[in-house]
Amino acid sequence: MAIHNQDAFLSNVAAHLGRPRRISGVKRPSWSVRPQDRVFAGYSKEELLAVLKKQCQAIHTDVVEVQQSELAEALTDTIKRYRGKTVVVANDKRNALYGLDQFYEQLNKEVDVHIWDAQLGKENQTIAERADIGISFSDITLAESATVTLFNDKHHGRSISLLPKSFIAIIPKSTIVPRLTQAAQQLHASVEKGERVPSCVSFVSGPSNSADIEMNLIVGVHGPIQATYIVVGDK
Amino acid sequence: MRLMKVSLFITCVSDMIFADVGKHTVGILERVGCEVDFPVAQTCCGQPAYNSGYLQEAKQSMKQIMLSFKDSEYVVGPSGSCVGMLREYPAIFKGDSEWEEAAIDLANKSYEITQFLVDVLGVTDLGSTFKGKVTYHPSCHMTRILGVKDAPQTLLRHVKGIELIELPIKEDCCGFGGTFAVKNSEISREMVKEKSQHVAETNAEYLVGGDMGCLMNIGGRMRREGKNIKIVHITEILNTHEQGGGIA
Amino acid sequence: MSIKLGDLSYQQRIEKGIENDFMREAVSSAQGRFRNGRLTQAEELGDWEDWRQLGSEIRTHTLENIDYYLQQLSEQVSKRGGNVFFATTAEEANAYIEKVIKQKNGKKIVKSKSMVTEEIGLNQHLEKLGAEVVESDLGEWILQLDEDPPSHIVTPALHKNKEQIRKTFAEKRGYDQSDSPEELAAFAREQLRKDFLSADVGITGCNFAIAESGAITLVTNEGNARMVTALPETQITVMGMERIAPTWEDMEVLVSLLTRAAVGQKLTSYVTSYTGARLEGEIDGPDDYHLVIVDNGRSKILGTEFQSALHCIRCAACINVCPVYRHVGGHAYNSIYPGPIGAVLTPLLDGYDDHKELPYASSLCAACTEACPVKIPLHEQLIRHRQIIVEQEKKSPIMEKIMMKGFAQWASTPAAYKLSTKLARTALKPWTKDETIKNGPGPLKGWTDVRDFPAPAKQSFRAWWKERQKGEVRNGNS
Repeated sequence: MAIHNQDAFLSNVAAHLGRPRRISGVKRPSWSVRPQDRVFAGYSKEELLAVLKKQCQAIHTDVVEVQQSELAEALTDTIKRYRGKTVVVANDKRNALYGLDQFYEQLNKEVDVHIWDAQLGKENQTIAERADIGISFSDITLAESATVTLFNDKHHGRSISLLPKSFIAIIPKSTIVPRLTQAAQQLHASVEKGERVPSCVSFVSGPSNSADIEMNLIVGVHGPIQATYIVVGDK
Repeated sequence: MRLMKVSLFITCVSDMIFADVGKHTVGILERVGCEVDFPVAQTCCGQPAYNSGYLQEAKQSMKQIMLSFKDSEYVVGPSGSCVGMLREYPAIFKGDSEWEEAAIDLANKSYEITQFLVDVLGVTDLGSTFKGKVTYHPSCHMTRILGVKDAPQTLLRHVKGIELIELPIKEDCCGFGGTFAVKNSEISREMVKEKSQHVAETNAEYLVGGDMGCLMNIGGRMRREGKNIKIVHITEILNTHEQGGGIA
Repeated sequence: MSIKLGDLSYQQRIEKGIENDFMREAVSSAQGRFRNGRLTQAEELGDWEDWRQLGSEIRTHTLENIDYYLQQLSEQVSKRGGNVFFATTAEEANAYIEKVIKQKNGKKIVKSKSMVTEEIGLNQHLEKLGAEVVESDLGEWILQLDEDPPSHIVTPALHKNKEQIRKTFAEKRGYDQSDSPEELAAFAREQLRKDFLSADVGITGCNFAIAESGAITLVTNEGNARMVTALPETQITVMGMERIAPTWEDMEVLVSLLTRAAVGQKLTSYVTSYTGARLEGEIDGPDDYHLVIVDNGRSKILGTEFQSALHCIRCAACINVCPVYRHVGGHAYNSIYPGPIGAVLTPLLDGYDDHKELPYASSLCAACTEACPVKIPLHEQLIRHRQIIVEQEKKSPIMEKIMMKGFAQWASTPAAYKLSTKLARTALKPWTKDETIKNGPGPLKGWTDVRDFPAPAKQSFRAWWKERQKGEVRNGNS
């Protein structure tokens, strides 16, 4: 696609910097300090999970830990607690892996379950907008900030974690890393390898909120009003 | 043991208005075994002009200071702000072939009095005695420009009989800021009102600090408001001890 | 709007700010909470000084090579199906955005909070064209309904109380519930949801662009930026040209500093990095994407001693510790960028003529410099501004110039200085009572209007020293 005015603009920038324009060969220096590597360094998955659970309290997010065999039950409980009548779910390969395909089929008898379907186009958004609950798997989970990282694509719309009133994230324990540092390293590494990074990477930490009115914390503004994380032992 | 030779950098405010601060500083330095001299050619550190943007005018003043202390081994003054200014000289005279070396030399040998006692001499207890409720205001330039946060409080904690009360939001500026107090007097007034309120909340009898500019500002405001508090420079407390002492 | 907010004089603005009790109470309490949040988070993270150093190194390297990284960014965005427009001025940026909207026949535009669009006056420009522009950040929406400018760069409606907000909602949108923040927010959610779903065009700012991926990172708590980037078919990102990080790893560090320094959070609820148009088969995200990179005076800051002002990550930590801001509020700066960073940036972007007082609106207490997560020496830059105002712009008052000349003479002539120490007390005698001056003459007046001034010592230190030396000589101690 088009790039307008690039040359004039960047030449002017270089002139102000008092040197010829730099077009190639710029290397990031190695920084004199790297405090980001020291945060929770050497923590086991269990220790990181404890960090995540603690942070969930700070961000008004419920967290439950289950075995794989208990996942369906945990989802049912959460959906009931949120009085969910309609649910929108990412069309994730892990649904099958975790036996959720059958579960959603079963659930569909009592609750309206919509699995994201690229073939349906914009209707997915309309469904998500009406849905009570959105359910996604976390791709990378950041313990420090209790954040789920979602690699959005055609099977995993951005709307799922955004438009419904409630959000449920399923967190495979193996996805837990110390902090944003590790997610950024992974993304940087894929760029270096020439891989395509997702068109949208969403780092989501609990429900939406605002402090714009007299600095009072209001949980639930434009995005979901409530959130639950279900941490599940790995397949 | 050879006596440590120290040149007193009095600061213009203490020279003219608060002469006792100089006397206490001399008293303390002599008590810890320093040989004190007073280069009489010294004037002002140049800060009023420098902070107002008058660089050329400030430099004239700074050159006079550099000349005055060129032969000194150590330069010690009773003000975090003024000593902080001396420490800025190398940046100000950077690239000036005539003065840069002198600027670096002066910056390297200049210390605020409590910083000198604790960091250079390793003295934390002067054996001082002071009876009374005291709250300490850490001035902005002492803490953030000069980087001296602990030395004054370490010394105060070792004073016998003292009752130290923590000043709320103590790191907040009192609104002095040199010419700021005059040029932006409404804003300065609101700042010093707030500081005065915080000092009053401590119910201290004495407000102590390491910069007379700030103390003159807070004390002057509290007096105007009819609030009863005595302002004392930290050297006055540190120079008060059972075996005589006081002003030499 | 543009950078400058209005036409009141500096003196009028200061007085108006100081007289606004509600605003001052609100700002003071917000500053307390921000300060505690920032300090708590910095402590929990550990090694805060190392983090600041790292942030500073990343920003320094990025700005030194900004042409390289902007080129990389624009090529990556283009590769991912986005259009890029480099705008030298506000007018160019607005004209390009206008063209895009007209081409798409856009009628309704939904925005997420962006300082640079305030800076270029985009809303006013688009409204003149007859488009409906909706601000979706709760604070910005409140201000938009009330036609009031922001007073803080992170919490723009800090100066408003909930009763004022209730009234605004009632008058402008027929709101009929209480002034509880929850009910007010629920109403905003319901109203704005309709706007998100019906808008043709979404416009956002940019916290950090990631050069290596052509990704734009937005940091929010409300989720409005996600709505704006996910739902409308056309989407435009407007970024100040310095708001860029080389890689994901650098973005990570800057975001970690930003959320802590700005709001005392480990991360905000949403940090979203997106690249241009949606990919084949994707449903959410725009079909048509434009990135507008704005100079508007920034390039002329490069290569000067103010270059590090462009390191700013817009966290407002300097604003949140500033005692001057606390007492006068954001509007007193008469700039969309208030507080210490505003006092540094505004004259650089918009000239000294309208903003020559700002660099003096600081006691130089350096709380800003200490709080800045990327180590911008803000108070030093304020002094540098003052030097330029005095020496190059020649805008300092004549009386001040005379006094400073006098100061230089006095302080460089030991005899004159010594004489003044002798005469000061006598000279001030007419105004002195009980060792106190309550109504000082000349320059002392500004001082004594506010507080007492002490009478000079009966004997100067140097006079005492001289006597003491003589005494010691007499006593044979020398």
